[in-house]
Amino acid sequence: MNIKYRIIILTVTLLIIFALFLKVLNSNKIYQPNQMIGKKIPEFILEDLFDKKIKISSKELLDKDFVVINIWASWCIPCRVEHPLLMNLKKNNQISIIGINYKDERINAKNFLKTYGNPYQLVGVDSNGEVSIQLGAYGVPETYVLNKGKIIFKNIGPINEDFVTKILQLKK
Amino acid sequence: MTAGSIGNLALIVCIILNIYLIFSLTTRVRKKNFKDLKKIKFINNSIFILLLVSFLTLIYCFVISDFANVAVYQNSHTTKPLLYKISGAWGNHEGSMVLFVLILSLFSFLFSNSKVNEELKIYTIFFQSILILIFLIFLIFTSNPFDQIDPKPLQGLGLTPILQDPLLVIHPPFLYFGYVGFSLIFSFALAGLVTNRFNSLWSKVSNFWILLPWSSLTIGIGLGSFWAYYELGWGGYWFWDPVENASLMPWLAATALLHSNIVTLKKDKLYSWTALLSIFTFVMSLLGTFLVRSGVLNSVHAFANDPYRGVYILSIILLITFFSLVIFIIKDPKKSSITNYSFFQRDNFILINNYFLIFFLSVVLVGTVYPIILEAVLGQSISVGPVYYNTILTPFLFVFLFFMAHGPLLNWNKDKNIKLKNIKIFLPISLILSSIIIFVFLDYKNIILFLALIFSIYLIVSVIFDWIFQKKLNLNLGRLFSHLGFGLLIFSIFINAYSSKEINSAMKVGDEVKTQGFIIKFQGINKIKKDNYEEIFGNFLVSKDNKQVQLTPSIRKYNQPVQFTSETSIKSNFITDYYFAINLSEFEKDKIMVRFYYKPFMLWIWFSVLLIAFGGIYQTFRARNEY
Repeated sequence: MNIKYRIIILTVTLLIIFALFLKVLNSNKIYQPNQMIGKKIPEFILEDLFDKKIKISSKELLDKDFVVINIWASWCIPCRVEHPLLMNLKKNNQISIIGINYKDERINAKNFLKTYGNPYQLVGVDSNGEVSIQLGAYGVPETYVLNKGKIIFKNIGPINEDFVTKILQLKK
Repeated sequence: MTAGSIGNLALIVCIILNIYLIFSLTTRVRKKNFKDLKKIKFINNSIFILLLVSFLTLIYCFVISDFANVAVYQNSHTTKPLLYKISGAWGNHEGSMVLFVLILSLFSFLFSNSKVNEELKIYTIFFQSILILIFLIFLIFTSNPFDQIDPKPLQGLGLTPILQDPLLVIHPPFLYFGYVGFSLIFSFALAGLVTNRFNSLWSKVSNFWILLPWSSLTIGIGLGSFWAYYELGWGGYWFWDPVENASLMPWLAATALLHSNIVTLKKDKLYSWTALLSIFTFVMSLLGTFLVRSGVLNSVHAFANDPYRGVYILSIILLITFFSLVIFIIKDPKKSSITNYSFFQRDNFILINNYFLIFFLSVVLVGTVYPIILEAVLGQSISVGPVYYNTILTPFLFVFLFFMAHGPLLNWNKDKNIKLKNIKIFLPISLILSSIIIFVFLDYKNIILFLALIFSIYLIVSVIFDWIFQKKLNLNLGRLFSHLGFGLLIFSIFINAYSSKEINSAMKVGDEVKTQGFIIKFQGINKIKKDNYEEIFGNFLVSKDNKQVQLTPSIRKYNQPVQFTSETSIKSNFITDYYFAINLSEFEKDKIMVRFYYKPFMLWIWFSVLLIAFGGIYQTFRARNEY
């Protein structure tokens, strides 16, 4: 290959890299997650995944003593790992879990729940991830325990048996 | 005249001198006048001294808390201890860019005063001063550390508490000395290419200029990791955070360069590859700078958030990459001697591991950059975490260790005395040793752990074998130290990963938790008050098999800015760390959340990193004496 071609290829490659990173710089909309433990949850209203008429509002959560919120997505592999545990929580312990579906396609989310079972009482659709980030989420999955609208406990990443025991302790 | 204006003036004079230096170097190159470098040296030295003055005045502004200075106002506070006032100078974007340019110039200064062929020297200083000019322009016009605010605020905003740590005072300088230091080998490589002097003499000189920043970067990465371990309170020491990766990438490239340069020196080949790696190492450093400084990453580390800065850094990095690679393409030193090739030859093993290093580098590069680009272009989020890196890197690491153990035992030239029969001694020894450790001492029967221990012990044994039995006159101690360190590092990392334990619980004073063979007792609470924070200590007694350890983790409430941090308490014996961290919990006022970690071999991880760096430093001084 002669020198001219090599330089052309180099130029083109670097221009592509430039364009990509320029796009990155201009679309810097990643919200910074914040420490929310011990704080009141932010106000939000989300549509339910299965029925658009049902709205899940943060106000309804304020007067409940014990609420579990689980942020999940169908594209998230660790969510599949924790899924059986969530199903158990629902089945064996009668704990109602509110799901927040993070940056997901409705159809994929529905299929996911059809395939693996639906552990949620309600599922709020958070298509741009804004509510999750306001809640202080770093990624998916994350699980929150609320007491009268305050976040009292939070688990980053898939939940495990320890977390389940913890939840059962907290419920008492 | 205020201190700030002196610093600012120094920067402006620097720019003028630098432009003059580039012009006078260009005319010299045109006239092919490479004699009498006094004037060049004088200007070059003055630039360094002026930058040093500028840096010191910035530190002075922080020390006297001159809040008319924007950088000081945003990152300091009168109640901060002196040490953190000083470190505040480079704990922010503007200040760290001054440090960046200062180190560029420091290397130019050191190099111009060393003994090198005049023509190479002129060209190297030429390229280096272009780099200095580019970053000086960036510094003065987009992130001037001496910008003033009027009226002068009475108090500053303070430095983020987690950055108020003695280790973070020295961590950035080491890191910067490392990856900005690679600029010199970059300029030197370009000089070698342009002058067609890319030969074994080039290799000999460059050995020093690779080893010096490499050692410093090794220490810098180690310090950062150590800080994360004891400050963040999650029991981990490496999180594959994009900013950690940004420092790991130049390290991997430089390690490859270090080794390929040895082949170039000893065997008079791989010139192209060495030249390319010299360029590539610095490009990786620049990429790291871009990722950290442009705000494309949103992590604890991200500092600047000005899109113009981002575009400027991106443009200059790509321009530098472009011109250096064009020079490489045009002047490619095509010297190759594929004569007497044999698989079992030292240079071949080094080359194989070079490819592995580049592979590791690519994996880290993809893992760091791909999610950012995907998010921006398609709006999709993927999470790339430890699982990705561990799964992809681990199997190849074993092969890498094997070649690393064997390479040094082979000869440089095809030889009848192939020492490969050593395998008959080593393999059984390491097999037996690691089997004993795994099955007797630890109750683990995991294949990955087993392989990791076998191969790392194999490396360690091979180094010791080399040390004791190779009675060479010029025993390469630097290499032995570093390789021994690397073997120990992998060994310790894997033991640590597979036998750490974690206990989480909510406790109040008097509580006792019994689990996983540990008994944790919460004995009491003390409070103390300091200038810039209040601290609450918890006293815990951890017992395991009749051994008792007293731990006192704490929570600090900083007043400027108001923020809570959790201070860990770590008790370490030769083998294991007992690690304790506590958090406040809002919902149970009478209880605190406790996290206890049992972390074996942590001390060995730090010791191994030191050993690797020590090998580098030792070798640096040897290289210094050689030329």
